[in-house]
Amino acid sequence: MYNLINFMWFIFLLPLKQNILKTVTKPFLSFTMKLMKDYNLKGRDIYMKKLWMMAILSLLVFVVACGDQSADSEADSGEGGGDWEPEQNIEIVAPSGAGGGWDTTARSVGKIMEEEGIVDTDIGVVNKPGGGGAVGWSYINSTNDPHNLFVSSPPLIFVPLNGQSDLSYEDFTPLSNMIADYGAFAVSEDAEWDNLNDLFDDMKEDPSSVTVVGASSPGSMDHMQFVKIAKAAGVDIQEIKYVSEQEGGALTQILNGSADVYSTGVAETVEQVKAGKIKVLGVTSEERLDGDVLSDFETAKEQGIDASFVNWRGFFGPKDMDPAAVAYYEEKFKEVSDSDKFAELRDQYGWDEMYMNSEEYQEFLKEQNDELGSLLEELGLGQ
Amino acid sequence: MGALDGLMQGFQVAFSLQGIMFVLIGVVTGTLIGMMPGLGPISAIAIMIPVTYGMDPSTALVMMAGVYYGAVFGGSTSSILLNAPGISGTVATAFDGYPMAQRGEAGKALAIAAISSFTGGTVSVVLLMLFAPALAQVAVSFGPPQYFALMFLGLTAISSLSEGSTIKALISATLGFIAATIGMDAQTGTTRFTFGTPNLIEGIDFLVIALGLFAIAEVCFLIINRKDKSLSKQSDIGNLKLSKEDLKEMKGPMTRQSFLGFILGVLPGAGATIASFIGYITEKRIAKKPEEFGKGSVRGVAAPETANNAATSGAFVPLLSLGIPGSGTTAVMLGAFLVLGIQPGPLLVQDRPEVFWGIIASMYIGNVFLLILNLPLIPYIAKILKISRPMLISLVIIFSLIGVYSISFSTFDLYLLLIFGVIGYLMRLFSFPAAPFILAFILGGMMEQALRQALTASGGNLAILVSDPISISLLIVSALSFVVPLIRIRKKDVTQD
Repeated sequence: MYNLINFMWFIFLLPLKQNILKTVTKPFLSFTMKLMKDYNLKGRDIYMKKLWMMAILSLLVFVVACGDQSADSEADSGEGGGDWEPEQNIEIVAPSGAGGGWDTTARSVGKIMEEEGIVDTDIGVVNKPGGGGAVGWSYINSTNDPHNLFVSSPPLIFVPLNGQSDLSYEDFTPLSNMIADYGAFAVSEDAEWDNLNDLFDDMKEDPSSVTVVGASSPGSMDHMQFVKIAKAAGVDIQEIKYVSEQEGGALTQILNGSADVYSTGVAETVEQVKAGKIKVLGVTSEERLDGDVLSDFETAKEQGIDASFVNWRGFFGPKDMDPAAVAYYEEKFKEVSDSDKFAELRDQYGWDEMYMNSEEYQEFLKEQNDELGSLLEELGLGQ
Repeated sequence: MGALDGLMQGFQVAFSLQGIMFVLIGVVTGTLIGMMPGLGPISAIAIMIPVTYGMDPSTALVMMAGVYYGAVFGGSTSSILLNAPGISGTVATAFDGYPMAQRGEAGKALAIAAISSFTGGTVSVVLLMLFAPALAQVAVSFGPPQYFALMFLGLTAISSLSEGSTIKALISATLGFIAATIGMDAQTGTTRFTFGTPNLIEGIDFLVIALGLFAIAEVCFLIINRKDKSLSKQSDIGNLKLSKEDLKEMKGPMTRQSFLGFILGVLPGAGATIASFIGYITEKRIAKKPEEFGKGSVRGVAAPETANNAATSGAFVPLLSLGIPGSGTTAVMLGAFLVLGIQPGPLLVQDRPEVFWGIIASMYIGNVFLLILNLPLIPYIAKILKISRPMLISLVIIFSLIGVYSISFSTFDLYLLLIFGVIGYLMRLFSFPAAPFILAFILGGMMEQALRQALTASGGNLAILVSDPISISLLIVSALSFVVPLIRIRKKDVTQD
């Protein structure tokens, strides 16, 4: 809403002088002229009729234009009570473009909430891409409205730790975590390694003999999930060569041998493994995953490397939210998490159930932040 | 036998009543959205995704593909008529299309664009059909060193895009490179030239720069020179009919660029933009009258338009046969596939042949529809130019603002657009060409990433850049394209003396 008003102002302020005014007012002028003509020709009745129509129309436009604003002002007066109910539509921000993991999670959860009647109000999903999430976070921070939520995952920890955002997880209220996703390390089908230990043995000898490729920038998810596992296996993590390929060409680099190891999400590997193009050396989950190809992937733990990495995903609100509102959202997200529809969805995307309420989530995030922060520091990336 | 069966199945999908209807819906929506300055295939596909919920996957995807190439087809319109390229693939079309429209031949320019788009689209669909599974290998044959060489070749275009002063063209290109470095550096995660604002972390979007330097700068120019009577001729549409000479002129570029554009489209990351630029410069290089380029040459419109449409079909090779999205647009396409429960990848052709071949077969119909729809519509579309100047200028500004705002719904981008509009106007005032700026901006970012990825993998050894035949030959071609014009000039000087 805020942005829309801003945008409208921007158009009005354009120094277009009279030209644009003329073009806008011209149809109105000609309409009035026609009315006057009608009045002369056809008599007063038709004239009055048309005048009424115009009055009703402009009233309608006025009501529609004001509708949004009145909703905004009501929201302010409703805070602070014992029980909390949303007084306007809930907006879930996906701080990324359409089609990504955040977007999918936000849209599917929103859809289930509406379709299953878990929430009475409408739920809108808004994309606010930019800054690896930072643009969306600063939007939530600046609107500070309990009806505006956002979806997030480990980048909420990584991006601030890398000094790319002033806002961190502590500036928001964690509401509920919903799902867990895991990382996978894949190599070309004809690569010499068959499991993580083969790979890490080579890397212990010469860490720079292997190039790792991922879609995120250094110090973010694809890089750090590999670093975390490699460190547990005893590799000198400062020497690891990591290439970031953000245009979607990471898999290409594995297939043509430009890079050796592909650090990515489990779901991204399934099709290629089925087609026999790549093999997965290991996954970062604690236990074996379910699913037809997924269950063949050995975890790092099974291979004797004591480390795991969770790509958690959940929902957050602005800082200092009314505890009653937090309780409200906790309950609703729990309902979604327990629904059959969401279970179906988890199976479809290969996600694991990982519900945490606000308090557990807060605790979990703190642990994550400490652990990943020290890892980044060791790499010389943290700030 | 399998492939032939699949193809038959594909044609059944495409030629069913439902198939034809949705192809039609797709291409019409695509062209309409594509024609708006500032809205390209990405927005077109994103807008259409919700429409496909609950539809039969193959029909839905046939429609989405139609939206995609329809938008590329229609994208040239705003480049030609308003100098407002909506997607990076049609920037090169504006180089000659807009001068042609200004000369009072808008109808002709649009007709050339429509016919060459159709040719590029159709020839490349044939290639797609014949070679899609086999070309999967080609798509992955390019690693960082090869991409670096390819971008380098693209950059040699700067020398041919300079009108007059080469120094000014190089300065303009340098500014483009500088603009490309803004944002978070992918290889280190460091933010560069963002002045502490999160709005710049992702860098500047291409559309902001293209619409600023071309559309807004042009608008400034028109407003400031509004009393100049010589500019008023622009509202002529001119004759639609192409003369025999025109068709003859187009034949060469269309044939060559259909193939070249397709191959460049197959490479993930290269796509329609590079195809159209490389198409434009190769045609300029081999043309008998290269001096006509940039002033409204028939070949100058035909080449990039053929190439970008051919590249669009080419981009389906890595998407369908590998599951690799080669560009932002195909990434959104991939999203559309996933929404419908289809996972593109090496197995698609076996598991869902009706989807794989259905999309390819539907492209034949789609391209024919586009041609039939567009040719008779040209006089009406070109009437845009008949709108009174003040109104037209306001419309261009509003559409540019909407287009830029819809990238990430941030007002910050709108201010950037204005800044680039002013920069573009000043550049024009002091006769710095804008084309090298935008070329350097598009290629510079990719070239830097490719170079640094290659050097990270090699541990800093530069030899990796010349370690295989593809990159060596691309670099040799780049070197030749610098040297040959010099020799030509030398020769000319000698003969003139």
